Amino acid sequence: MKRSRLPFVVTVAVLLFFYLPIIILVANSFNASRFGTRWQGFSLNWYARLAHEPEIWRAARNSLIIALTATAISLLLGTLAALALHRFAQTRLQRLHFTIVYAPLVMPEILMGISLLMFFVLAGVGLGLVTIFLAHVTFCISFVAMVVLSRLQDFDFSVVEAAQDLGAGWWQTTRRVLLPLLLPGLVAGALIAFTLSIDDFVITFFVTGPGSTTLPIRIYSMIKHGSPPLINALSTILLAITFTAVVLSQRLSRSKNKARA
Amino acid sequence: MGKKRSRLGLLGWAVFLLFVAVTLPLTSCGQSKPVLNVYTWSDYIKPGLLSRFEKENGCLVEIDTFESNEAMYAKLKAGATGYDVLTPSSYMVSLMHAQKMIQSLDHRLLPNLSHVDAEILKLTIDKTMDHSVPYMLTTTGLAYLKSKVQNFKPSWSMLSREDLKGRMTMLNDMREVIGAGLKFLGYSLNTTDEKKLREAKAVILGWKKNLAKFENEQYKTGLASGEFLLVHGYSGDILQVQKENADVTFAVPEEGTSISSDDLVIPVGAKEVKLAYSFINFLHEPAVAAENTEFIKYLCPNQDCYPLLSPDLRNNPALFLKPEIRAKSEFIGDLGDQNALYIKIWDEIKAAK
Repeated sequence: MKRSRLPFVVTVAVLLFFYLPIIILVANSFNASRFGTRWQGFSLNWYARLAHEPEIWRAARNSLIIALTATAISLLLGTLAALALHRFAQTRLQRLHFTIVYAPLVMPEILMGISLLMFFVLAGVGLGLVTIFLAHVTFCISFVAMVVLSRLQDFDFSVVEAAQDLGAGWWQTTRRVLLPLLLPGLVAGALIAFTLSIDDFVITFFVTGPGSTTLPIRIYSMIKHGSPPLINALSTILLAITFTAVVLSQRLSRSKNKARA
Repeated sequence: MGKKRSRLGLLGWAVFLLFVAVTLPLTSCGQSKPVLNVYTWSDYIKPGLLSRFEKENGCLVEIDTFESNEAMYAKLKAGATGYDVLTPSSYMVSLMHAQKMIQSLDHRLLPNLSHVDAEILKLTIDKTMDHSVPYMLTTTGLAYLKSKVQNFKPSWSMLSREDLKGRMTMLNDMREVIGAGLKFLGYSLNTTDEKKLREAKAVILGWKKNLAKFENEQYKTGLASGEFLLVHGYSGDILQVQKENADVTFAVPEEGTSISSDDLVIPVGAKEVKLAYSFINFLHEPAVAAENTEFIKYLCPNQDCYPLLSPDLRNNPALFLKPEIRAKSEFIGDLGDQNALYIKIWDEIKAAK
């Protein structure tokens, strides 16, 4: 029987649909033309101009600081939440806990942004990097907790018991048995938290204050009054970073699978 | 094992240091220079001017950017504070003034207001600069490709030219489009007379048959690439397209058009009010205004900066309207309750086949 060509065609079509816009964006970042409709020659002009835009770099620095700290803290809190959720899954309190942790995943972002802003205003917290950090931790915890929880669900706890049998204390068990085995889940959770935090616009827009503009907010405002090709160049750099992160995370999960096989 | 421990330890240190890095700038605020927080459009002040202001006033200027009047308004309305100077468009200034969100200005602290173009002030909404100072002006007009459009006439009637059918666009903006129709008929673009609005609608429906679409962003690209031959657009945008395609020409219809302005205002609750006044005053120093205009390509309505501009801009019809056309042009004003009438007409225009 001849194999149908349909799956191949569909795959190519889907890949084109996904990646063509990105390829066009990357190509345009090297286009000398400002409006990107005609190819006016290869140029690194936009990358060079990017180097002279202190505002953009300040925004990038803000974004990085927030993404790194929010990832670290939400990783810690999210993992603890996942452990509690897994261990005491059947109690009523933990079921409530699960709902609370789960809610931000399905809640519309704009709702969360406005309510956080109103909360901060009410509580008298000055808007700035700290409020963005708090907001990002709030929604990142949920993602980390869900990822770690799914990892815990096929976790063999007899290993922990074995360690305790062999005389390992609480701290030793956690550090030498639990954490290493959970590591792929933790890394995946951290990567998700980092990506979510670094490109969040809606929530950040509401809780950002004077002097704490992040990269997504800066980019968005540039669309109206700034130079579109600068955004192309910046996006290309971000894409390169993101793709590297994705490839790294895939490598990690692959080696995890190999180890288990 | 030793290796692993040090790795974990390293991670802990990294987290700790990051925390310090985040919290340190916040705690050290008290002893450093005062900070002026400006909330504005992106690329709307020449960066070199900022460092000059910082040096002259011994302060720091933080620029934060918004991408629409509405987003900025929503945020402030929800209670966000900390900004000292804003640059909303005039219609938003009216709304914010009505809601008591901005301060009345003390003219004694703004000696440079004497340089503000009196002719332009006559057209603005806040004529006495009670709570706002015009910062940058833009004119709506027609832009076309000189080599491809024969017998161009600076008139709204160009939009009814059959030979350009399907190669023209108008802005996707209720007030701009209906305003163009009203101006073509010789009426005020702020009229609330339903009969005049109906007449304007009939005119616009005639134009609509020739339009490719109503559109606000793509028209720049389309004009640069030659996809569109004639577009209804903002002067600031067109000046940017001109850099790309020298064939692009801007013209202001002789029937008059709309002029819009972004204004400098101080929000209620600003912390550095004194610095905010110095900043507004600084931006209206003629030399500064001229430098800013050269950079942004919008016009700072400061009459004493005009002679300092390069001839290129000085003779540009996109920036300087002829007096007889300016006399026929208007600012788009806030209509209050009558807005509903415009929305109804606009919906009818958009729905018509």
